[in-house]
Amino acid sequence: MAEMIKLFVNGNEVEVEAGKNLIDAIGAVGIEIPHLCYHPALGADGNCRMCLVGLEEGGPPLVAACKTPAAEGMKVLLDADHIKKIQHDVLEFQLINHPVDCPVCDQAGECSLQDYYMTYDGQKSRMTVPQVTKSKKMDFGCGVIHDQERCVLCGRCVRFCRQITKTGELGIVNRTDTARVAIFPGRPLDNRYAVNVVDLCPVGAMTSADFRFKQRVWFMKKERGVCHGCSKGCNITIDHNREKDQDDLIYRFRPLFNEQINGYFICDEGRLSYRDENENRLTEARLSKTTMSLDKAVTAGLKEIKRAEGIVILISPDCSLEQMVSVKSLAEELGATLSGFSDGYIKKGDGDDYLIQDDKAANRAGLAALNIDSSQTGFEEALAKAGLLINFNNDLSLFYDESSLKKLFKEKRVIGVTSRNTKLFQMANLVIPVASFTEYSGSIISCDNILQTFNRAITKNDTLVDICEVASLFGGPLKTDRDRYDELKKIVVSLNDFDPDTIPATGLKLT
Amino acid sequence: MSDRSQLISTGEPFKFDQERDTEFERLIKRYPERESMILPALWLTQEQEGWISAEAIAYIADRIGTFASKVFECATFYTMYHLHPMGKYHICVCRTLSCWLRDKQAIVDFLKDEIGIEPGQKSEDGRFSLEEVECLGHCGTAPVVQINGEFHEEMDVEKLKALLAELN
Amino acid sequence: MEVKILSAKFDLEDGHKLEIAKQHGAYGTLDKLFAMKPEEVIEEVKASGLRGRGGAGFPAGVKWGFLPKGTGKPVYLAVNSDESEPATFKDRYILVKDPHMMIEGIIICSYAIGSHDTYIYIRGEYTSQVKALQAAIDEAYEAGYLGDKVAGHDFKLEVTVHRGAGAYVCGEETGLLESIEGKKGQPRAKPPFPAVSGLYGCPTIINNVQSIASLPFILEKGAEAYKAYGTEKSSGTHLFGISGHVEKPGMYELPLGLPLLEVVEKVAGGVWKGRTLKGVIPGGSSTPVLTPDEAKTVTLDYESMAEHKTMFGSGGIVVLDETVDMVKLVENLIYFYHHESCGQCTPCREGLGWMLKIIKKVVRGEGEMSDINLLLELCDNIEMKTVCVLSAACTMPVRSYLVKFRDEFDAYVSEDISTAAANQE
Repeated sequence: MAEMIKLFVNGNEVEVEAGKNLIDAIGAVGIEIPHLCYHPALGADGNCRMCLVGLEEGGPPLVAACKTPAAEGMKVLLDADHIKKIQHDVLEFQLINHPVDCPVCDQAGECSLQDYYMTYDGQKSRMTVPQVTKSKKMDFGCGVIHDQERCVLCGRCVRFCRQITKTGELGIVNRTDTARVAIFPGRPLDNRYAVNVVDLCPVGAMTSADFRFKQRVWFMKKERGVCHGCSKGCNITIDHNREKDQDDLIYRFRPLFNEQINGYFICDEGRLSYRDENENRLTEARLSKTTMSLDKAVTAGLKEIKRAEGIVILISPDCSLEQMVSVKSLAEELGATLSGFSDGYIKKGDGDDYLIQDDKAANRAGLAALNIDSSQTGFEEALAKAGLLINFNNDLSLFYDESSLKKLFKEKRVIGVTSRNTKLFQMANLVIPVASFTEYSGSIISCDNILQTFNRAITKNDTLVDICEVASLFGGPLKTDRDRYDELKKIVVSLNDFDPDTIPATGLKLT
Repeated sequence: MSDRSQLISTGEPFKFDQERDTEFERLIKRYPERESMILPALWLTQEQEGWISAEAIAYIADRIGTFASKVFECATFYTMYHLHPMGKYHICVCRTLSCWLRDKQAIVDFLKDEIGIEPGQKSEDGRFSLEEVECLGHCGTAPVVQINGEFHEEMDVEKLKALLAELN
Repeated sequence: MEVKILSAKFDLEDGHKLEIAKQHGAYGTLDKLFAMKPEEVIEEVKASGLRGRGGAGFPAGVKWGFLPKGTGKPVYLAVNSDESEPATFKDRYILVKDPHMMIEGIIICSYAIGSHDTYIYIRGEYTSQVKALQAAIDEAYEAGYLGDKVAGHDFKLEVTVHRGAGAYVCGEETGLLESIEGKKGQPRAKPPFPAVSGLYGCPTIINNVQSIASLPFILEKGAEAYKAYGTEKSSGTHLFGISGHVEKPGMYELPLGLPLLEVVEKVAGGVWKGRTLKGVIPGGSSTPVLTPDEAKTVTLDYESMAEHKTMFGSGGIVVLDETVDMVKLVENLIYFYHHESCGQCTPCREGLGWMLKIIKKVVRGEGEMSDINLLLELCDNIEMKTVCVLSAACTMPVRSYLVKFRDEFDAYVSEDISTAAANQE
């Protein structure tokens, strides 16, 4: 527990954490100090001057809150007239050369400048002389588009590229009011976290080419999620919307702060993986080339199971623990061999020392926790002896090329239970569509052995079933969430003391 | 201050000549951190070429082992670095307080007429470029003009005429 | 009225050369210096009352005392030779006429503060001056006054010249440090102060050229001899630069405390062309202007300037005669400070540009009374809201003209002028 100290804000005593700066310390008890340049991941810079606060008794009368550590007995003035005037004045300076093109700006609705104007300014413009003009719609690379005129020169993007990615593509060139963020010609953004500058930008100066003009932010619903792009388990906000007469679509993933996992950021690949939730989805069950209802497909599946001589069940390392335990029980029920073979998910050398992992599987640790064999020989030997493969969403094409797959499936019946309409699953005799990870609730264990739970974020017009449900329909014994969790607890000792609702939202480090 | 961020590319790779190379290596030992060489290296480039191209900035960044964006920042922040070729004679007229009080405008007007260019421009024949600059620190002998770095104090139109005549 | 302490060797032929300078006592204090304890040197400088000659006037010895002890990090000395404040041109005389006096001062200061590395930051515009300075440093190295054993004593000292490239803000001491580190000269927020965390994150003392150059005299003759010049609180002499509308502009060494107008009259030959005085800028363009009436009672020292609600600054005195158009002068001033704003803090970056456009509009005859009032208000809104004092260096003088010469501004926005300007076009 952090050391707590007492200080006064506008004369009221508050208890805050020692060692933090005033913005964070006072912010933690719900009192906002406006700021543009300060960001907890990037430290204090002190250039925007929005966070100037008064100090009574001792010290300079006016300090930048971002640069001032909270101290015992400090008397901070926020609501005094002269402080409010400074906030208004600084905002006025920020706005005099700002294009105020909110109607066409993607940031509108989540813009600090907009919000602060409403809170701290609210005055008519007194700017009667021509504004400074700069460049617009600059392609900075990595899908980042920059508008120099909207920029408030807070330098967060510059500091991100220097401090976090250490690639340093951005700089603030010139000085005085011609200062602007720029890339050096021919050396655009070139790092795998670049689009974070869009989130970091407190205004609409940095926009994402992918998201630009797609959706007004106030139409979107925001849900918490866990990225399934690799084994890191970065926390994300899933921004989605169901436009009139259309299906619920995801428009973007954004990083969601989680101190023990991803901090404030996510990688660009994970960010763009939202597209897989919208596109190339399998939506209808199919037996050879005939589409059919789920009921009929399940019946067909049961027939396949009944007449099969030897069954191998393959599970995806992306599946949730609940799905894994359901399928595991199903395998036991059917006397099938269960495999989690997924070597193809590992892209050796692709990871870095930051967030990106070699292992693109979201829950490989779950396979291990449930003692599911993942060896290649285990899978191949079992399959050689079996007549039926039931593949729960495992993308074997990451490991085998097409001819190897054909060889592997030769004289086998294949049931694909999948969310993806890919070539691999087109090779199956029977496919059953299931929900993807934004459409179900579950839990996964990250590469750092952190257990995280997540809830269903998206409800499609035609809701697809969860793999747990399919396992149950195929004869698996676990019928309810409770059944699945109890079974999990039996296998995973470290879960004994926890129930789903007692797992912290930020994840549980397993021992 | 106008925008200085539109760099000019020569299309040719840049490198220090032998003399500057030696000087670079001598100077870098004077600092505990390599980035301190950004300003000196920009000066060396300007000495060598008369101006600083995009290629030169990239070269300096790579030579020092820093981001091109940092060298780019300095090249555009410090206004004495020429980011495009200047005239054979680069004439700076101080425009600030003491020179202004002692009629620097007469000097500027004369030069504009005589050379036929505005401050910030270069003559078509490439002989002259003209710039109005901020205080040159010669206020006691105002107005002051600097031609290719050399100071000419207590200037007036007559003196300037004579001076221009001396330039070949 | 003139004295020759710092400028003693300025009139010598080749006084900048080591040989000549030595004949006139250069490096004569070193044996005495190394026989003293560093603390004793600091005490002597404190006792002399020497105040920083860069503009702020902070006591030099006290500044040195802020250095933390036993950090295990190197201590740096940075000599501020950026003098870029308009109307300031004193330090370059030292650099060119008597550089060895400054190098001797560097040795004294370095020994006192326990530093072995000095960076002299010289403004880029000083082209010939940087050559002269480097030549003197080379001479000093060759003669053994710099290097591994300073003058044969067990004291190592390296001196490096770092050249600026056209940025007034680098005269601000932390902007200067950033510039040496190879960055844009954007001042740092304080604390931490440079004495604690300065160049490369190490304890650093930054002193102006003239402050450093004053040390040999103080060490040679003693604090009392130095205090014999000047006033009790503003001791010593100062190189005053007098420019503008006087008969004999130039650099003059004077003890502190002399009456301003007497100096203008007797030293600089009075207002030129027999014209009358309209105002005096007492210490560089950033100091608030004095009206002739105010100037009557002011003396050239820190205290009197403060009493007159202006500043001693850099000692750059600018005399304004009756013909000066104060509105255009303010335009010239704002242009300068806007041009030199480092672009870091919002109020300075955006505000000075706004002020410049407003004053230009007024000068064009398109202004309104509300523009003048807005200018005044913007001075308040910008001042002291920024990391460094560059913005205040603009708003403080601008406010002084707006208040003291308000009628001139009003005349520009009265209907007559606007109509007149419109008719002219």
